[in-house]
Amino acid sequence: MGTIPNDICEVLKQNEQAPAPEEIKYWLRCDRTLKGGFQHTYVLLTEKELVLVHDPLTMLTETTFTGYTAVTNKDKWSKRFITRWNKGSKHNTVQKSIYSRDPDWKVECLAAEQIENVFIVNLVAAGLLVVKDLNGEERTLAAFSNSQMKKATRLVSQFEKLKRLEASKEERDEEKGAGTCPTCGMLYPQQERKVCPKCMKKHAIFSRLLGLAGKYRVSIVFIVLFMLLNAGTGLAIPYLQGTVLFDQALGGTGPFAGQIALVIGLIILFRTLSLVFGVLFGMINARLGANVAFDLKSGVFTAMQRLSLSFFQKKQTGQLMTRVNNDATELQFFFVDGISYFIVNAMNIVGIVIILLLMDWKLTLLCFIPMPFVMIIIRQAFPKLWRLSWRRHRRVAVMNAIISDTTRGTRVVKAFGKERQEMDRFQHSNMAFAGAEQNFNKMNSTVFPILTMLTQFGGLIIWAFGGAKVMQGELTFGVLMTFINYIFMLYGPIQFMNNIAGWWSYCMSAAQRIFEIQDAVPDVSEKKDAIHLEVIRGEIEVDDISFGYEPNKMILKQVTMHARPGQMIGVVGHSGAGKSTLVNLISRLYDVNEGEIRIDGHDVRDLSFDTLRSHIGIVSQETYVFMGTIAENIAYANPDCTLADIVHAAKIAKAHDFIEKLPDGYDTIVGTGGHSLSGGEKQRLSIARAILHNPSILILDEATASLDTETELQIQEALEMLIQGRTTIAIAHRLSTLRNADYLIVMDKGKVMEAGTHDELMHLEGMYYELVQKHDKALQMRGVG
Amino acid sequence: MPHDETVQREGAANGTVSLAEAAKIKYLTPHNARFVRTKGNMLSVTVENKAYPSVYLHCSFPHSNRNQYISVRTLENEEVGMIESLDDFPAELAELLKEQIAIRYFAPVISKVLAIKEEFGYAYWEAETQAGRCRFTVRNGGGNVKLVSDQKLLIQDVDGNRFLIERLDQLSEKEYRMVEMCL
Repeated sequence: MGTIPNDICEVLKQNEQAPAPEEIKYWLRCDRTLKGGFQHTYVLLTEKELVLVHDPLTMLTETTFTGYTAVTNKDKWSKRFITRWNKGSKHNTVQKSIYSRDPDWKVECLAAEQIENVFIVNLVAAGLLVVKDLNGEERTLAAFSNSQMKKATRLVSQFEKLKRLEASKEERDEEKGAGTCPTCGMLYPQQERKVCPKCMKKHAIFSRLLGLAGKYRVSIVFIVLFMLLNAGTGLAIPYLQGTVLFDQALGGTGPFAGQIALVIGLIILFRTLSLVFGVLFGMINARLGANVAFDLKSGVFTAMQRLSLSFFQKKQTGQLMTRVNNDATELQFFFVDGISYFIVNAMNIVGIVIILLLMDWKLTLLCFIPMPFVMIIIRQAFPKLWRLSWRRHRRVAVMNAIISDTTRGTRVVKAFGKERQEMDRFQHSNMAFAGAEQNFNKMNSTVFPILTMLTQFGGLIIWAFGGAKVMQGELTFGVLMTFINYIFMLYGPIQFMNNIAGWWSYCMSAAQRIFEIQDAVPDVSEKKDAIHLEVIRGEIEVDDISFGYEPNKMILKQVTMHARPGQMIGVVGHSGAGKSTLVNLISRLYDVNEGEIRIDGHDVRDLSFDTLRSHIGIVSQETYVFMGTIAENIAYANPDCTLADIVHAAKIAKAHDFIEKLPDGYDTIVGTGGHSLSGGEKQRLSIARAILHNPSILILDEATASLDTETELQIQEALEMLIQGRTTIAIAHRLSTLRNADYLIVMDKGKVMEAGTHDELMHLEGMYYELVQKHDKALQMRGVG
Repeated sequence: MPHDETVQREGAANGTVSLAEAAKIKYLTPHNARFVRTKGNMLSVTVENKAYPSVYLHCSFPHSNRNQYISVRTLENEEVGMIESLDDFPAELAELLKEQIAIRYFAPVISKVLAIKEEFGYAYWEAETQAGRCRFTVRNGGGNVKLVSDQKLLIQDVDGNRFLIERLDQLSEKEYRMVEMCL
């Protein structure tokens, strides 16, 4: 929970009514005013009271939210400042400079016994802390931004515990959540993402990437070798074509005097060698590229399968697909083009400059005259070009979205006769795109010709000065030719080096995103010494559990239930009552926030995943058929089963008949691109899958909700066969399907409202009774009942 | 004239139910509802003798029109009724209701973007807002920076805190250049 800032401790000490700082059990710093603006209000919780330390007139002049680590070099001071702001300084006081004036803290104590409860009202991107006193009067204590929501929720639950006189357990896990980078002290941009972008950048990513390349060391060595040979042989050509050909062969001096044929032969030889090395390098490179991409993709995919469900719900599926594909491709470029081209271009630059300097250092310096201008243009124009291309990219995305939107919605467009409107909408975005495209192309076709001209200008300078020298006899014509050829060879590598910074950060972020998936710690993880149970009886105890996907949005509140081995428990309630969440917790797709779920007396968090998965089967409304044959789909949980098992399972699940009707029978390919099955058929396949899985605990989550009455009846029969001898938890909103449950629990807004047998609950005339009444009425109205 | 509107009108003329009748929305007016600010700084309302000790105002169109169609709801998300337009209420009362709306929807309005630095999938913003200088972190992609109207930009940071740029065209060219790369 962190320690209270010293200045607040001082305030507490000086105030007679206020509790001593040691008595504080929990505290929260609210950061918003009600009017609009930021302000610190401390809410402190002791065993006996709730203490408010605030100064309504002091505002914050600056606020730093979670994760802010933007530190440019010129901003070193603010780095230190922000870190301190987040962590508290050495003396653990808040910097005075963030307050609009020297705060005049006021202390207000509210006795806990006078308070009925404390709760949070969710606002848009913020929360309101409200107390309700024993007279039912409500009062807002303070407002806080979303960043404080977790702590505020904690405060409320701590208060409730104190109220219930429960000994507050040492809360250790929160410290775990408040993650700061151990090296630089920055908050992680996201709590669940224990990656410090700053430190990661410096050490880890690059060496990790090189580590990946280690496997292909030999290939890379060969690639670099062939590239160097390719460049080396290439470097010899201008020399041969220039000074050797003109001065020696044609000029009749030196070792090659008059030997034109030999020189031409040498030129051809070097060109061929250069080509051969180039081809060799390309071949190895292509193989390496494919291998690296393969490794990366399979690495990420494996890592993704390991992660808990919540990871996938936080990230959009599309984003994940992009990650696997694009980032892997990006890194492929890093290995294949990046490393090798970098080495070769660097060698080229060094090599050429040395040769030029050796030939004539004065001319060399002259030909660098246009270089600063080239640099300036690149620095100025390229960011602009990048922005224009980004704008074009965005407009294309909008246009594509409209196309796919309209195509998918054709039925609606036609039904409402809105073709004209859609055409206008498209026209509008098409125009926007065309404009962006034109701007980009205009810029593009201005910048590059200028760059080319400048580059050629370097050559012209050499012609001018070199030409004069040739006339004066200080330089031979061949040397001049060689010079010019080398100059042109130099500009390519220099342009490459200039782009390298952008390319580098691009690659590093791709790598970081991939590593992020590989490094992500699953929210739900298996204990080291997890218990493995061969056989289970199927007793389930849910003991006072609370759970929410987000802080202060509790889906389940203090839910308790008990299922004896072999019993069938029905769970009913309106949609959104938390029924599916309850079963997700039993099968440990998520972990509870409070309380405990036990199977055969063991906490599910102590059991191995293997035990849970092999003994708990789920048939849910959300059926999924994988790509493959029907037989493979049924045998998904148990691929080693016999053909007879598959047929038997299908028969029990009432799937056999429709499968036999298909021309390809059990070998029919289903899933994406295959034969399409109806909802009822898919459902029966998933029941067959569960039958073959043969779990001791069966969870039926609205298994028949989306089906028509006749199919439902058939499946109902199948289910009754399935549940025999197993502990079953069945969720249904059609109450008729639950009448033979041994025990029913009725849930509403995350709480268990009623529990008992059908008869008991009918007798009670409570919520269940009402649901049954409504249900029957609805059936009558439809003429079914 | 669009076909469906004609049908609807004819329907109403024939004595069938109009949209407004079918929707059965309870509209709160100064005549049937009495809004009061409680001692504890909450908003309470009494509608036709039924008292709701604390209610919250939800705008139906928070980005395009905060003056009209305001839903008055309890903590349990039950709709007490709707306010068709704040202009129907006397100025003082309208002010009170506007304050309540501001509590719910407060998001600092950015007056000047000082710096946006992008690194590793996050953009680090530093901006002057009407509530002092704010520094916050925005995750790239995923619609965290989006146009909610022609010119109005909504920015959500990693915790879901909201910031607004009211008019993109009022930004200086330098500011716009920084912001554009986050769109």
